[in-house]
Amino acid sequence: MSLRKSWIASIALVMVLSLFLAACGGGGDSAGGGEDILIIGRGADSKSLDPIQVTDGESIKVTHNIFETLVKFKEDSTEIEPGLAKEWEASEDGKTWTFYLQEGVKFHDGTDFNADAVVYNFERWMDKDHPEHKGGEFIYYKGMFGGFKGDKGHVIKSVKALDEYTVQFELNYPQGPFLANLAMAMFGIASPEAVKKDPVAFNENPVGTGPFKFKEWKKGESITLVKNENYWREGLPKLDGLIFRSIPDNSARFTALQSGEIDLMDGLNTDDAKQVESNKDLQLFKRPPNTIGYLAFNMEKEPFNNKKVRQALNMAVNKEGLVKTFFGDLGEPAKNPIPPSLWGYNDEVKDYEYNPEKAKELLAEAGYPDGFSFDLWAMPEPRPYMPDGKKIAEYLQANFEKIGVKANIVSYEWLTYLEKTENGEHEAALLGWTGDNGDPDNFLYVLLDKDNAKKPAQNIAFYKSDELHDLLIKAQRLSDQEEREPLYLKAQEIIKEDAPWITLAHATPPVVAKASVKGYVPHATGSESLENVWIEK
Amino acid sequence: MSIGPSPNTAPDSTLNKSELEEEMVENQFRDLLRSFIRHRSAVIGGAIVLFFILIALAAPLIAPYDYKAVNENIRLSSPSPEHWLGTDDMGRDIFSRIVYGARISLWVGFVAVSGSIVVGSLLGLIAGFYGGWRDVLISRIFDILLAFPSILLAIAIVAMLGPSLENALIAIAIINIPTFGRLMRSRVLSIKEEDYILAARAMGMKNGRILFQHILPNSWTPIMVQGTLGFATAVIEAAALGFLGLGAQPPDPEWGKMLADARPYIQTAPWTMIFPGLAIMMTVLGFNLLGDGLRDIMDPRMKQ
Repeated sequence: MSLRKSWIASIALVMVLSLFLAACGGGGDSAGGGEDILIIGRGADSKSLDPIQVTDGESIKVTHNIFETLVKFKEDSTEIEPGLAKEWEASEDGKTWTFYLQEGVKFHDGTDFNADAVVYNFERWMDKDHPEHKGGEFIYYKGMFGGFKGDKGHVIKSVKALDEYTVQFELNYPQGPFLANLAMAMFGIASPEAVKKDPVAFNENPVGTGPFKFKEWKKGESITLVKNENYWREGLPKLDGLIFRSIPDNSARFTALQSGEIDLMDGLNTDDAKQVESNKDLQLFKRPPNTIGYLAFNMEKEPFNNKKVRQALNMAVNKEGLVKTFFGDLGEPAKNPIPPSLWGYNDEVKDYEYNPEKAKELLAEAGYPDGFSFDLWAMPEPRPYMPDGKKIAEYLQANFEKIGVKANIVSYEWLTYLEKTENGEHEAALLGWTGDNGDPDNFLYVLLDKDNAKKPAQNIAFYKSDELHDLLIKAQRLSDQEEREPLYLKAQEIIKEDAPWITLAHATPPVVAKASVKGYVPHATGSESLENVWIEK
Repeated sequence: MSIGPSPNTAPDSTLNKSELEEEMVENQFRDLLRSFIRHRSAVIGGAIVLFFILIALAAPLIAPYDYKAVNENIRLSSPSPEHWLGTDDMGRDIFSRIVYGARISLWVGFVAVSGSIVVGSLLGLIAGFYGGWRDVLISRIFDILLAFPSILLAIAIVAMLGPSLENALIAIAIINIPTFGRLMRSRVLSIKEEDYILAARAMGMKNGRILFQHILPNSWTPIMVQGTLGFATAVIEAAALGFLGLGAQPPDPEWGKMLADARPYIQTAPWTMIFPGLAIMMTVLGFNLLGDGLRDIMDPRMKQ
């Protein structure tokens, strides 16, 4: 009897104690003012956190908060403003650029940010023989600056530190979008010490100067960032931390937002947009339309090496219907690779009309009177430029069937999908792009120039047109927008005629947040630094 | 257990054996039919199954629209005289899709179950009849297969072979093999001790003949019952694989896939989900009722 009593007593004691401890824990938190952590739901995990190695938006969204660039885009436009460089000047011929850096900035690991760090980063990116030129393909550097050191067409001749806080770039020739390129989040300046330690593992342990520090990456699940207490801009960031959670299914993610599990999300089902607008606990943001979703034909493979086949398939697609079905009010049919809001958009270009009969004729002319069958690759996860790749593929499949072309839908896990398409394993693949710097060069050169058709390629149509290449390079080397514009107008005509893609739609990616999330401004480039965001209590 | 001819093939009745046999079979068949008609749930189940079979066979005649035809102007419209069961998110007629989907589901059920019956029965026969190391080997393989949750095993198989209807079919056939194999083995184990088998053996009949002329015909009743029930499971498994995107590929209107596609619209357009779900439910119910009924009818212990 007494034994049992003591048992009960001890259990009760444990319970009371644990309650007490729990209460203490809670109290401790609230005494500190409470943690303001913004939980962001998104469709996929990041590929790498070394910004120079990635091309996917999901990686950039995270690194944008960890790293900073020399110059940056204004919060609500693609105009340039000071970043890690407080001032800059260019020589008359546009070949010498001098940047004056912010003083007193420190990396998250405590080392100093200075001219040497900037030089180190550029050396690592551009020089294939650099000991730390490791950890990936540096695909963006190659794409934006015409290759690597020693390549024909490489833009940057040298980067020098003039003194501790002055950096000078010598260019081989002037580059129109040079400043805009530098503002891209991929060219975030990394801590040289951290990179030297292990350039490959750096992607899982990123160290920059940004408003948030990397804390933890649970692969496939979430990435946690915490506030950088020593951030050089006074009073920022306003949040204590960010958590990026991957929830692949659009509906599941939206449910998580409604139930309060997450605070902000992208990738909303078109049909849910109305529900958001009528819910006063939620707010809908529309990212400025700066995207293209397309179907790329692999021009290295039959029958897509035949222009008539590509044109025929272009005519077979009912774009109006497709956009209405999958994008609703959040998108418009695309006829050019660049979105209409961008300068240099050619509105004169005539799109292939939707005409299955004519498409059939053209197919017969090309030598395929009975059609053919091919593998149509569809991305497995919702992307900002395409809400549901697999369903769009199903729609295209129905369109192609009308002209006797049989499409088998194939899909892979997202990272595999990117890798395989970069290596040209596909016959035709859906993909898309969100512009990163408000320059047509960022669409046309990156996605369609022959320079970028080398594996691993961003030009996954493997479209190699010398005529286009000459135009794009010429446009790149001019710095006057008015002189560049006609070249881009012409480029779009060539692309339409050659039809390496079916340009499907320009999406306006929706972002939904709880009504209490303040200060959030979605940027046209698809990612933004969240230092100004706060949560209203 | 009085369906098979074996107990009556006494060696000395060779003269009028075939006549006698015919009469017996006819009587048995009449008996069966009578008890089937008297068994209410079997009749209902049979009717449902028959209904879906007819729909599947006559799909092109019944379906009012092309099940693949997309139309953005009528997407997610609710059931109406034009579209009896409404349209889905691409404006496709759900009724037409379900009608064609019946073909897929029944086809998967039929082929997968036949496959597992053939393979399972053979293995079960061998294991039960020969015993020894063959029995140990086969039975352990069955145990291993049964140790996995069946749908998980199916997913693994499809993941290995690549997602397609054919591979889903193979996967479903494989995971159902042990069910039939074990059933057959246990039947064989009891039948092989029967007097008429001993008699056949005493006469010097070869193993093969004993197996296929005496043992097999006398053990197929439970297999048939299990097969009918297995049909229902196969339909569900096919739908599950389809739902996960591992079964039928677009544009095939597989019911499970239709369910998966309808998920985002469960609140705004519930008919996209309700009707394919109902179709799956009814088919499964039909086969289950039929299977249960057959078991009752064919089990001599249940007979008065």
